Amino acid sequence: MKDYWVLLGSFGSGKSEIALNMSINAAKAGPCTLVDLDVINPYFRTSERGDVLTPAGVELIMPPYALEKIEIMSLSARVYSAFTPGEGSVFFDIGGDHVGSIALGQYKPYFDRIPDEHKHILFIVNPLRPTAADVDSAWAVLEKIQLVSRLSVTGIVNNGNLAGETDYTHLVEGYELVKGLSEKTGIPVWGTCGTKPVLETFDAYAKEHGLDPTYIGRYEPIEVLMHRSWDKFLNEGL
Amino acid sequence: MAKKLMKGCEAIAEAAIQAGCRYFFGYPITPQNDIPEYMSLRLPQVGGCFLQAESELAAINMVYGAGGAGARVMTSSSSPGISLKQEGISTIAGAEVPCVIVNMMRGGPGLGNIQASQGDYFQAVKGGGHGDYRSIVIAPSSIQETVDMMPKAFDLADNYRMPVIILADGLIGQMMEPVELHMNPNPTMPEKPWAAQGWDPKGTRPRAIINSLYIETEDLDTLMTRLNARYDVIREKEVMVEKYHTEGAEFILCAYGTVARVCKAAVRILEENGVKAGLVRPITLWPFPTKEVHEVFAQESVKAGLTVEISNGQMVEDIRLAVNGLKPVEYMGKGGSIIPAAEDIAERIMQMRRA
Repeated sequence: MKDYWVLLGSFGSGKSEIALNMSINAAKAGPCTLVDLDVINPYFRTSERGDVLTPAGVELIMPPYALEKIEIMSLSARVYSAFTPGEGSVFFDIGGDHVGSIALGQYKPYFDRIPDEHKHILFIVNPLRPTAADVDSAWAVLEKIQLVSRLSVTGIVNNGNLAGETDYTHLVEGYELVKGLSEKTGIPVWGTCGTKPVLETFDAYAKEHGLDPTYIGRYEPIEVLMHRSWDKFLNEGL
Repeated sequence: MAKKLMKGCEAIAEAAIQAGCRYFFGYPITPQNDIPEYMSLRLPQVGGCFLQAESELAAINMVYGAGGAGARVMTSSSSPGISLKQEGISTIAGAEVPCVIVNMMRGGPGLGNIQASQGDYFQAVKGGGHGDYRSIVIAPSSIQETVDMMPKAFDLADNYRMPVIILADGLIGQMMEPVELHMNPNPTMPEKPWAAQGWDPKGTRPRAIINSLYIETEDLDTLMTRLNARYDVIREKEVMVEKYHTEGAEFILCAYGTVARVCKAAVRILEENGVKAGLVRPITLWPFPTKEVHEVFAQESVKAGLTVEISNGQMVEDIRLAVNGLKPVEYMGKGGSIIPAAEDIAERIMQMRRA
């Protein structure tokens, strides 16, 4: 039975970055498919990173026009192949907010057939994004996303970051946010994401200040893969 | 306020609100849709009004109306949409109405593509609409700079009673960068006694008439003379330019917007290879930093210049006018949204050095 991972969240919460990293890691253990269901972004799409996904053994399913850079984002019929029986894992990278999550709604009958233990519906949170920076606004986004995606979130992910300027304090801010959101919704915190050095300093801080491991979950180290080619010419800021 | 991670379009919209903009009229087009989307969410929260018009032309005429009534008003679009707004922009200039217009440039003539471009330089800097008018054109190169410029853009529009264009490429709109917003719950607004805000027949103030129609030759000449005098003041007082490592440089790169950031990387590569290079970055494209560019090129150390654009050689014309034949100025760039890499720019300078 395949394991299904759906990454949801507000604009800029870091879904694509996490989807790239998790799918590349999963491909080391078995067959892995990444479905780019982003119907929102014309620039900076997961599909653009076929150059790292394909060599890592990740099968990429993308909208037919994704790399032609036009804004009519129709969904590929190949998405249905992700629901065929088999082994390994499937990741869904979704566009931001409830607007982006609409793309998922039509697959409800297929998700319904998957046993709960194989369904991981993660809600990614970044408190440095002003549109979902506090518990109430993040909760509002979560509710709207659940409504239109027709899926129930099973785990919350702390992805506190400020792009290239990220340090552990952003994860500390994220900790407070996911803790509040988890207490409010009863949804457990699945994990905390960041680059290895940031996770290490955060872990030291968490131990020193007695942060509750329930609201940290597992550590999911990520490598910055999005925007790398942009760095080449915009090597300030991104 | 602590830094936030924001998409360029969102940051521009929020910065406009913090600068006192309470009215936004627009029509969707990629890659600037996040501006109207953000405005539609935020403006009602601050007692403002967002309206998606039935067309670009309708939107710009709503801007004309709100600006004429004295409001701080903004519209945004991307290249083909800006073309559709030109008639209204010319009217706004002729009627001396302040407003801010954001153009997130995309590629090509016609519908082109939706990737980043600088192809609307001529349109923004040399007029765009018909008639003898100017718009102040500001070309930021990062999201932070765009945010920092927004209050200035509204102030310039109000002070000089004219359109101010923020000319950015799609990259500025779509990328995300850490940005510090300047929160300002009570922005100060200048008095606008000329605005059409209701007339009291018993009062002393004359009727405020917002109009660009001057049938009598003398009347039109009065307007044109007034505008021209104003443009001279702007040329004198409002030029903004960044000079990066230009002192004593052998080669001068010229670029604006995101391309200027690529050029900074090229300057660093060249310096690592023992070549003294610098960058002149016009921040205002009109008024153009003619004097400043000339001064940089007049240095004895300077051998030649290279203008880099994501367009088929537009700003290079103004650079050459500024340099006035003092030194050779070459052009490098592409019109099809292909952004040159820093290594390629550095290599081109190395070739010029060998020649």
